[in-house]
Amino acid sequence: MEPQPIWVTFVVAFIFMNVLLVGMAYMTWFERKVLAAMQDRLGPTRTGPHGLLQPIADGIKLLGKEDLIPAAADRLVFYFAPLVVFVAAVVRVAVIPFGNQITVFGHPVNLFVADLNVGALFLLAFGSIGVYGIILGAYASANRYSLLGGLRSAAQVISYEIILGLSLVGIFLLSQSLSVRQIMLLQTASLQLGPVTLPNWFILSQPLAFVIFLIAAVAETNRAPFDLPEAETELVSGFHTEYSAFRFSFYFLGEYINMIIVSLFAATMFLGGIDGPGSDRFWVLGIFWLLVKVVFFLFFYVWLRATLPRFRYDQLMGIAWKVLLPLVLINIIVTALIRLAGNGQLF
Amino acid sequence: MTLDAIVFYILAAVCLLAAVGVVVSRNPVHAAVFVVITFFNVAAIFVMLGAEFLAAVQVIVYAGAMLVLVLFTIMLVDPDNLPELHAGRPVQRVVGVLLGLILLLEVGLAIINRTFTAPTGNATPELIGLVGGPAQAMGYILYNQYALPFEIVSLVLLVGVIGAIVLALPERLGEQFGLRRGTISLGHPRGTEVALPTGPDGEAPITEADRKETAALEGTRELILVRDPDKYTTVGERR
Repeated sequence: MEPQPIWVTFVVAFIFMNVLLVGMAYMTWFERKVLAAMQDRLGPTRTGPHGLLQPIADGIKLLGKEDLIPAAADRLVFYFAPLVVFVAAVVRVAVIPFGNQITVFGHPVNLFVADLNVGALFLLAFGSIGVYGIILGAYASANRYSLLGGLRSAAQVISYEIILGLSLVGIFLLSQSLSVRQIMLLQTASLQLGPVTLPNWFILSQPLAFVIFLIAAVAETNRAPFDLPEAETELVSGFHTEYSAFRFSFYFLGEYINMIIVSLFAATMFLGGIDGPGSDRFWVLGIFWLLVKVVFFLFFYVWLRATLPRFRYDQLMGIAWKVLLPLVLINIIVTALIRLAGNGQLF
Repeated sequence: MTLDAIVFYILAAVCLLAAVGVVVSRNPVHAAVFVVITFFNVAAIFVMLGAEFLAAVQVIVYAGAMLVLVLFTIMLVDPDNLPELHAGRPVQRVVGVLLGLILLLEVGLAIINRTFTAPTGNATPELIGLVGGPAQAMGYILYNQYALPFEIVSLVLLVGVIGAIVLALPERLGEQFGLRRGTISLGHPRGTEVALPTGPDGEAPITEADRKETAALEGTRELILVRDPDKYTTVGERR
């Protein structure tokens, strides 16, 4: 692989971030349409064909609204808290690989921003940074409901972060790597089981970890049925009650970008990322397969929201510590034992 | 000056300014935020040194720890009534200044004399590349060479966890089960529980007198009195 000049990396990062923002805007449209279909409604129809211009209209509306700050607020913290959520969400796209090296006009271009040696840890670390924005925004609002939402969020993220990280340990054991790109490349190989040829996706060797990862990821992104921090019916939207206009929209952007990033992460770690028919020959097909997997996960998110009622707080903590944590620890031990046996070090 | 040096000095400057901010800020939450900024910059310096694993662990572990610190600050500290704000805790002030001066002296001497040098390990970039990367190299050393200290540390942490659980336990085991109550929200309109006649569940009919009583309570709003939900919903029919 040829090295590329640093400015190409910057251009690629710029394109990825903008694609992510547009993707986020249309994620809101997608969510509203799917929810509407599930509830026998039409969803947005007025702005553009099939309401396709709705996200743009929403953005313009949010820009034009008044930016309110409560009198008792901690102003400085109130200003930067939404930005923490947003930046921590966007920056995570840097370690997601969208393909290998391609050649554009004779220049080598990597379809990933950085191949960090500890890419998976980078994603987890910035996931936990994002919650600072929530708890600080909640504190700075000087509002009881906000603070309750923030405290819930902190407890939830501390619990589910552990499970999210531990569910990936099985993959780290099998792949002997923490680099997201390395793990994805390993999955492009095929697995021969007698007459059947299967893709070497980690969902096949780590099915339990996949299920636990999905549950923990929904909790980590504060989405229904784990959306206790912003439970509208009891906490009046929780941590962002006092936020309005574009400051509110940063929270909103952060939440949806987090959903997309977690979907990309899950697709790359468990479903082979760009792996699919023809992806080894045409890089466009690789991106296409990755997007198909991501849309599947995003649909799953919306589906959960339309189907399940919100968990009670004690149930949320009970599931994390009494069910998921033991399961994920068993998964790690079993994976480690199988790996040792495969190396011939066990018996 | 190379780009690396410029980036390092920016990181170091922000790091030191944030460290000063921890000490001088009056609001404990602000101080905690400054601590996070300091750790973040230290993590960035680790990245510049090629220790990506250490940087990621620094962010994950310290970010999580600081989050708990912020929570404790919000829940337990009254920022408007700290003893420090009205000349409280004289002993701590003197001891703090003294210890700070001793540390400054030590670090200063070490920097001036350049005597504080650790033995250089055998981890060259080639050797690290051979095992797969910094994270893998660290894993090998941690679980082979330093396996015993690692286990002792985990034992100490386990004792801490057990201590926390013992402190949080109720006085007598089994006490908590007596207090458990079901929480069921019926979401009925306000005032109905006053108006409805007492009787066996679902059997007492709603009389005309009840209707008048609730109508008086609720004013003009239309009120639906439901004793038996099955009367209003039919199984299998979709409206």
